[in-house]
Amino acid sequence: MTAVFRKVSVTQKAFVLNQALTSCRATPSIQHPVWASVNERQYKSMPTHGIGRWRHLLPKEPPKKKRDRQQMKEIVAETNTTYATLNVNVSGYDMTVVEHFSQYIHNLCNRLGVKVMDCYALPTKSTEVWLMQEQGTKMLVDSILKTHNRVVQLRSLNATVCPIFLEVLLKNQPEGVQLSVQEHTEADFKARFKGRPELEGLKAKISH
Amino acid sequence: MAAPCRRMAGRSLLQFLSSFSRTSVNNSGFRQISSTSVCRRSWQAQHVEESASSPWTLMAAVCLQRLPVISAESSPIEQQFRDMMSQMEQEKSMLSDHELRLLDDADRIRRMQTGEYDSDEEDDRRDQEIVLAQDLEDSWDQKLKNFQPAPRVTAADGDPRSLQRRLADSLLLLVEQPVGGQKVWLLPQTQWQQGETLRETAERALTSLPAAAGFKAMFLGNTPCGVYKYKLPKAARTESSVGTKVFFFKAVLADAGPPAAPDSPLMWVTKSELQHHLKPAYMMKVERFLLGL
Repeated sequence: MTAVFRKVSVTQKAFVLNQALTSCRATPSIQHPVWASVNERQYKSMPTHGIGRWRHLLPKEPPKKKRDRQQMKEIVAETNTTYATLNVNVSGYDMTVVEHFSQYIHNLCNRLGVKVMDCYALPTKSTEVWLMQEQGTKMLVDSILKTHNRVVQLRSLNATVCPIFLEVLLKNQPEGVQLSVQEHTEADFKARFKGRPELEGLKAKISH
Repeated sequence: MAAPCRRMAGRSLLQFLSSFSRTSVNNSGFRQISSTSVCRRSWQAQHVEESASSPWTLMAAVCLQRLPVISAESSPIEQQFRDMMSQMEQEKSMLSDHELRLLDDADRIRRMQTGEYDSDEEDDRRDQEIVLAQDLEDSWDQKLKNFQPAPRVTAADGDPRSLQRRLADSLLLLVEQPVGGQKVWLLPQTQWQQGETLRETAERALTSLPAAAGFKAMFLGNTPCGVYKYKLPKAARTESSVGTKVFFFKAVLADAGPPAAPDSPLMWVTKSELQHHLKPAYMMKVERFLLGL
């Protein structure tokens, strides 16, 4: 009951003040210390005000910077029981088969507990096949073959899992797909970036 | 086991590069498997001298497999599904360039035959190509008829010594070795010597086979995939030898070299044929690590 009365009296006060302010604009000396801004909404004094707030409970995040240049993920060093960062490279002419096999490898790693660091595609290389015509010496373009490449990067392959993992991959390798397992080097990472001829030209000029 | 475990932990892992390709089937009928070992880290000969040696003799065996050369046969359901999917995809697909060209050519020929054909009025393809799309298709059909694929089931399927048998399955190498006085069919094994890793022992087991000269195998890892313990019968047991422990290492065949002589004591068998040749207790341990894929 007291709450209700308080509200009623508050509204009344606000109404009165509003009128007072509008009527006596010329008297700015009137101070209203209790009411800093007359336009305050009434329900902020409700006991349940702010009941749904949750963002103040989250840990403070550092402000997000603008998108950085791609940093290289750390190459994990080799230990006594695990291998270093390995790249499983799947390549072939048929894109659906290559992609499905790389998806299969990724899912297999998830199931076997092998941590996958990264999963990316390398640029497609096109090969033009020129056939010699039967009569005459002119070369005829027969077809364009595109070699697709997908890489699954494994973080630290355990030595005990390794033979099983490799055997499963080999036995499930589809036709027309090449599988290659190599260690990841920085050169591999750098090869993914496009060359910048202007930058290199400027660098050469500076060094001269 | 004191000796081998400590050894394995002390030895650093071999860095390896391996590539497997399954495109072309060359004469030997293998996938091209190549592996290069990048700097085998120097083996640290640490506390090799162990005062207390265990009573078990250690041996390492190699589980050498020839991977399937051709695709596995599909079951009836798979075949039906494949046919249905290809039919659906064809019905839903759009016309390709070649088919459009066929239709254009047929259309042009029909118009030419009506008599009111004016070649100047052709919209595109002013320089009409002499070769019609239909002719191209006929020449391709001819080439297809001339192509004879090799048979899936060959005469070598029955010969256990031939590497070309059962192209759709993976084969395991078995050799006949004298064990405890009798000749037994088992995976090639040899005794471990001091100062070498178990994997090196397994590699030696393979290269020391007289019949397996020229076999190039790629080992899949440094860790064994299975173990078989054999206790000698009570009469033969002494203090220093209670029995043998055999550790199996997996390897994949890369190259076979010259074909084996007909009387050589080796055999290539599939998983289903194993039970006819191996002893039951041994077979139980071996089939645990053979993938039935």
